[in-house]
Amino acid sequence: MIGHRLANLAILGLAAAICYGMQTSKPHYADLTGPIPVRGGMGDDVKARLFQLRVDKVEFAKILAVSEFGKDRTLTTGGLWAIVTVELAATNSTTTISEATWQGPTGLGYRETERLAMVSGLPPFTVEPGLPARGRFVFEVPPSEISGATLLVSNERAFALDSQARITLDGLRLKPDGTPEMVADIYDMDEPIQ
Amino acid sequence: MSAGAAVSTGAAEIGQSERRWRRRSLWALLILLPATLALGSYTPVKWLFAAKDLFPRDVEPGSTVRFGGSDWKLEAMLTTKDTGSVKLPENAVPVFVDFSVTIGDPDLQKLWTGCRITLADAAGRSWLPTSLPILRYSDDWSDCNSATFSGAAAGATLKIREAFVVPKDAIPTIEPTLGLGSERPYYLRFLRAKD
Repeated sequence: MIGHRLANLAILGLAAAICYGMQTSKPHYADLTGPIPVRGGMGDDVKARLFQLRVDKVEFAKILAVSEFGKDRTLTTGGLWAIVTVELAATNSTTTISEATWQGPTGLGYRETERLAMVSGLPPFTVEPGLPARGRFVFEVPPSEISGATLLVSNERAFALDSQARITLDGLRLKPDGTPEMVADIYDMDEPIQ
Repeated sequence: MSAGAAVSTGAAEIGQSERRWRRRSLWALLILLPATLALGSYTPVKWLFAAKDLFPRDVEPGSTVRFGGSDWKLEAMLTTKDTGSVKLPENAVPVFVDFSVTIGDPDLQKLWTGCRITLADAAGRSWLPTSLPILRYSDDWSDCNSATFSGAAAGATLKIREAFVVPKDAIPTIEPTLGLGSERPYYLRFLRAKD
């Protein structure tokens, strides 16, 4: 009788241990439904589910010059402006690409700036299949978050079970201390995208 | 018969009926588990079907089809060389798709919501109407979504025009499609006349 009870207790303990093990080892729901990464480097055509993206160049500047509603304006920053020029194309159907994040080497994410309201060539980009288009993402980043950064691009900010382009910014020209070699004093946003 | 024997017989009977019910319950699981799954997924699947153009209904060239309570006819697919101030990429072609629609049931806000007109080519690519202002404003033509809120009466005929920008290589095979909220998951695919 006592052996029977002990066996029951052992089974219960084993079940608890298995449940605990599964709880701690299995991925969280948010990870299971989170972004599906598609990786690449600068100059690669990175193919997400609905769009294709290539990072052509990354430029840095201390000041952005824009003209909004016919008025010239300059925007300064405590860090640096990073201007990422990309080529975009839709895979199979017209799609909108609206979300980009500059992820620094420490894992900090910098979302595209919202300080530019009426400048053309900024997201959201609507792209059509067979008609690649060029665009720019503009970020404000601290100089220490440039070396080893990754660009994350997706259709929307919040999504589940969809792909996210993750481009390692491996083609940046940097000084030994990790800050960019070339920093323009002023970057004119009205210049056509090249 | 002793009292002890009577008790033990009763216990055996209870044990048997318990076993019977246990077996019935296990069999019931076979039905109940799939039924739970079906009930739980019914609403999401219904939403999916109501949101997507999944099954095409082919429309012969030149014919009129009742869809969303009204009679739809594809009048023309045109292109233009004059895109005004809009400069298109080199391999891009503007395409206008014209429908004439005779209103049957005038409750368009219920029947036509989510109106979606696309161009689809043989390679499986599809294009939504362009946001480029290549379509000049006109009193005669409206796009599908503004037609939905036009308050048109039964019997009226609306002219609906959508503008697209597609790559040149798609032109030989593109066909217009039409999806309406009240008809999903079915949509119309307007076949092109065979040359």
